[in-house]
Amino acid sequence: MSEKIYALLLRLFPSHFRKAYGDEALQLFRDRARDEKGLLRRPRLWLDLLADLASSLPREYLHAEPELAGAAIGQHAKGVPTFYVLGDERPRPGALFLGGVLSLGALVAVSVLLTHGGNFRPLLVSTRQSPRGIETRHSALGNAGLPSAKATEESALASGRAQMGASPQTLRTVTNGGTAEPQPGNSNSRGAASAESAAAWQPRAPQPRDADRTTSVTGVDSGTLNAAERKHVISAAIADLKQYYVDRNVAEKMANALEAHAKNGEDDAITDGDAFAHQLTKQMRDVSHDLHLELVYSQGTLPQHPTEETPEAFARYREAMVESHCTLEEVKILNDNIGYLKLNSFPDRSVCESTAREAMATLNHADALIFDLRDNRGGMPDMVALMASYLFDHPEYLYNPRENTTRESWTHSPVPGNKLADKPVYILTSARTFSGAEQFCYDMKMLKRATLVGERTGGAAHSGVFHRIDDHFGMGIPETKAINPFSNADWAETGVEPDVNVKAADALEVAAKIAAKKLQKK
Amino acid sequence: MPKRKLDPLPSAAFQILLSLAGDDLHGYGIMRQVEEQTDGRMRLGPGTLYSSIQTLLEAKLIEEIDQREDTGLGHERRRYYRLTSAGRKLARAEADRLADLLRVARAKKILRGDYV
Repeated sequence: MSEKIYALLLRLFPSHFRKAYGDEALQLFRDRARDEKGLLRRPRLWLDLLADLASSLPREYLHAEPELAGAAIGQHAKGVPTFYVLGDERPRPGALFLGGVLSLGALVAVSVLLTHGGNFRPLLVSTRQSPRGIETRHSALGNAGLPSAKATEESALASGRAQMGASPQTLRTVTNGGTAEPQPGNSNSRGAASAESAAAWQPRAPQPRDADRTTSVTGVDSGTLNAAERKHVISAAIADLKQYYVDRNVAEKMANALEAHAKNGEDDAITDGDAFAHQLTKQMRDVSHDLHLELVYSQGTLPQHPTEETPEAFARYREAMVESHCTLEEVKILNDNIGYLKLNSFPDRSVCESTAREAMATLNHADALIFDLRDNRGGMPDMVALMASYLFDHPEYLYNPRENTTRESWTHSPVPGNKLADKPVYILTSARTFSGAEQFCYDMKMLKRATLVGERTGGAAHSGVFHRIDDHFGMGIPETKAINPFSNADWAETGVEPDVNVKAADALEVAAKIAAKKLQKK
Repeated sequence: MPKRKLDPLPSAAFQILLSLAGDDLHGYGIMRQVEEQTDGRMRLGPGTLYSSIQTLLEAKLIEEIDQREDTGLGHERRRYYRLTSAGRKLARAEADRLADLLRVARAKKILRGDYV
């Protein structure tokens, strides 16, 4: 048996060597195999042989080259192209066949990649992402639901790189939900509506800035559009789609659709900016079915230049977080030893990690956990990952439509000393549960790690990167393709459906009952 | 066949020359002899052994002599190799070179004691 193996290995040598010494090499192997038996010597023999192969094989092949060079000198005739071959014998038919199959395979692979590879632009994505830095991080902040977090949000908004706004439906839900009304012209004051950034690119109430809107390319006033403006927006949208949209084929199709609709004059009657934006959004979504893609109209002037995240803004944010105990409204143990944690945002981990860890530590001995996210307006993905880490005993992938797969997409499980990884978990949701909080809900639901109790969530996936078209129009375009292992759809627009559908106000009571029942069964 | 470089002389080739300094040997004999004269440190595998032999043959440092049976190893016919006078000369030159090296090493006191 082993001789056969070695005979096969010998075939790795060039034919001239095999011809001259193949038999003898095999004989040598036989001799050694005969003499070197036993537990120690047999493995040593094989080690020797493999080391020998590794060192002598390259040498044998390398030696073919000097011969080639030597041969070339003699044969080179004037002006006649010549070919040099490594061996002077004809290749075996088997080798020819194998070579043919391999080249055919390579050819097919290349052409398949050329036609279908357009969907993936990893290089482009990474280079485009690099300058975003901290700014993107904060744009993902969404709505921290905190007055002072507004400063951060505002800068993210102003950067023109903010995540896409929510749809009008979600906006209405928000305002109906009674959190806060967007306050017109109040871009700097505290206490501004948290809903405002959710509605970032929705029409806002007139702002003082509107007064000096003379820079407007469009000349749009109180929502009247002319043909030139429409044409400008459409062609800019097409250019942006082609340049940034994650799937080039789809981008091409959407661009064609926009052009076709414009040519048919379907857009001509629209003079209202908001309606026009909706119309174009619909035209694009009819093709792509991509809820993250949106063209929006803002009555207020969109900021011209992206602004950097300032240290001052971050300091204000930090201060606000300390003041509000990192939006941890309540941490307590309910009856039946059920841990309860009301978290109103997923704040920046660099500020709030220790607070979050302390909270989880106080609940470590609970028999079940209730996360109250009914007033949670979102936050940072890495805080979502941190909280989720306590619910698993192994790293688990967390899907986030905003980001490509990164190290941060995984939970940091197991957390040392953590006893919560196998405890039943309930998440309370409401229509005001938003953005990052929905990511938490969605992932825990898909991973079957938690029971969602309450209302369908807000539906803010915010996954597009905002591109300014002019003073009033902009587009949220998904540029990265995050891997969603659970399903094709995320919670954009639709929200996350709870497992137990009850009114938000009743959610805690219901969840506590379910948890208690489950604990009794044990 | 291509000329292979024997300058500097690879240690495997040198050991083969040395192993043939006494008797004519076949491949396996050479391998055993080399193993013995290096206290088991160098065990030539078939690839190294025969490519070295090939090189040495081409350089006419060793020669092949008629096949014959090794009475100790069954009755298969084996190729035997013998050191040529050129091979002996080269081996001697290499040994001298190493001896020179050894002298230098000793002068620099990197050898413990002077047992060599």
